[in-house]
Amino acid sequence: MNPEKQPGNGTKVILVKRDAPRSEGGRNANLFEELRELAKAAGYRSVGEVTQTRFPDRKYQLGRGKVEELAELVEITGVEKVIFYNKLSTTQIYNISELCRCRVIDKFQLILEIFAKRATTHRSKLQVELAKLKYELPRARAVVSILKKEEKPGFMGLGGYEDSYEQDLKKRITRIESELETAEKDDESLRVYRRRQGLSLISLAGYTNAGKSTLFNTLVDEESEAMNMLFTTLVPMTRALDLGGRKALLTDTVGFIEELPHWMVDAFKSTLDGIFLSDIILLVADVSEKPEIVHQKLATCHDTLWDRINGVPVITVLNKADRLDPEELETRLEQIKYLAPNPILVSAKNGTGIPELKAEIFRHLPPPGRPVPLPSPIRPKGCLPSPGSMRKASCTTWNTGKKFLWIMKQGPRSSAGPGIWSGTLRNEMPGGSRLRVSVSVEM
Amino acid sequence: MWDIIAVDISGRHRIKDGYYMVCAAAALKISASHIEKIKQVKIQPRWLQEAPRLVDIVQLIEDTVAQIEFKGTIVTEKGDMYNEPQWVPDSMFTLAFKYQESIGERRAIELAHHISLSTRNLLLTELNIEAGQ
Repeated sequence: MNPEKQPGNGTKVILVKRDAPRSEGGRNANLFEELRELAKAAGYRSVGEVTQTRFPDRKYQLGRGKVEELAELVEITGVEKVIFYNKLSTTQIYNISELCRCRVIDKFQLILEIFAKRATTHRSKLQVELAKLKYELPRARAVVSILKKEEKPGFMGLGGYEDSYEQDLKKRITRIESELETAEKDDESLRVYRRRQGLSLISLAGYTNAGKSTLFNTLVDEESEAMNMLFTTLVPMTRALDLGGRKALLTDTVGFIEELPHWMVDAFKSTLDGIFLSDIILLVADVSEKPEIVHQKLATCHDTLWDRINGVPVITVLNKADRLDPEELETRLEQIKYLAPNPILVSAKNGTGIPELKAEIFRHLPPPGRPVPLPSPIRPKGCLPSPGSMRKASCTTWNTGKKFLWIMKQGPRSSAGPGIWSGTLRNEMPGGSRLRVSVSVEM
Repeated sequence: MWDIIAVDISGRHRIKDGYYMVCAAAALKISASHIEKIKQVKIQPRWLQEAPRLVDIVQLIEDTVAQIEFKGTIVTEKGDMYNEPQWVPDSMFTLAFKYQESIGERRAIELAHHISLSTRNLLLTELNIEAGQ
């Protein structure tokens, strides 16, 4: 990506994190590293870091003394923004900004900035806007109160304004949700259509920067953007995957992150549904990272997935296996196996383990129990309609063994040609699906 | 496959004159993503006048798990232990303890939750105690 296009390009920032007392030091260090990576992905340049271990302060998140220390650091380094790892309330943002005299954001606003930068399609832009509005909504009243603080004529003097701003946000949220709902319906129709065509849907899920896009490129021989950066992929991409006789569709989509707030999951529902409603989930993890980090990231993925997938098989793809020697890999696998269903070691970069992965995917593919277009060998005599009439007959598809009711009638000869009949295949099950087919009939 | 004892407590909020809690413990065999076998389920009701502290919760879980005949690691939600770091409750239990992580463990906790909640609802109905009073 061209760094000139990054909105946060080169802006100096200070990163801040409050650690809870008695929390694990190693884990806190990993989370701070993640904040550094997020800032880098947004195009910021970190020139200072501040941490404090304490319970949250209602006014400042950190202690007052630490925030004054932060303000001094801001003045010395001349930074334009302070980024907190911890979630900040509107009052905290206001109070810290007043002391530091610069813009203050938290991790979630930082993620939204990255998403806004990566959003290229109309839908992804809508999703980012929806996430921003949902983030802003609970803060709407407080924001107006703070902004109009000096103008406030008396108790509840600005109630009207506050209500109006909140209502405005709610109306915009409803409008965007309704537009996204239409897109979700289109997606659902597309999923149904693809399944009717006998295509299985496979999705790549995993922590951000696990190597999903690189694996996607290797599996489908594609050249999509893959970088060593968080949230490289925001817009889902789907390509056909040949599994030696069975066709499937593989979707690469947005990565997960720890403590992903529910409003962000809601905003990106239509994108994440691509993962949750697939037939197989490939859970990608970077096995070359430290065991505790792999463990933490896999646990986050399990947390995001567990109540949204309904018994869908999960294959854990332990990527970047080429970076470790076999003994290390064995130890690593032993350490994380209870978080790794159906583990497969691969290297998306050099292609190691890809045939094994494809075999594992094939093993977990759902049986082809859905209506599929009938090939010509299945034309038992009783099924054929007489010319110019409508006729019903039962026949069995060769590859599913399921019975279908045929309702056949003659199709347009001009488009289909002599001897070609069009008709509807209807599943005998109540509410069963229908499929339009053309069958060649020998006259 | 791993042997665990999934535990969940319902009723940690005050109604009427105290805290009517029910703890459910389920001994299960799980894989990373599924519950493979449910071996035994036990429940333990408890009434407390004061809000339960961590030590009360640990004691209630210990009492429930003591009825289980199978061995396994006790697994709970982090919120059940007041979001304390794992080493804090771990040092208080006699059996091995951990927080839920995998899909299998989360499904196991979900099962224990449904058992504890429905048992508590049944008890409140039978004892004619109305929730929210």
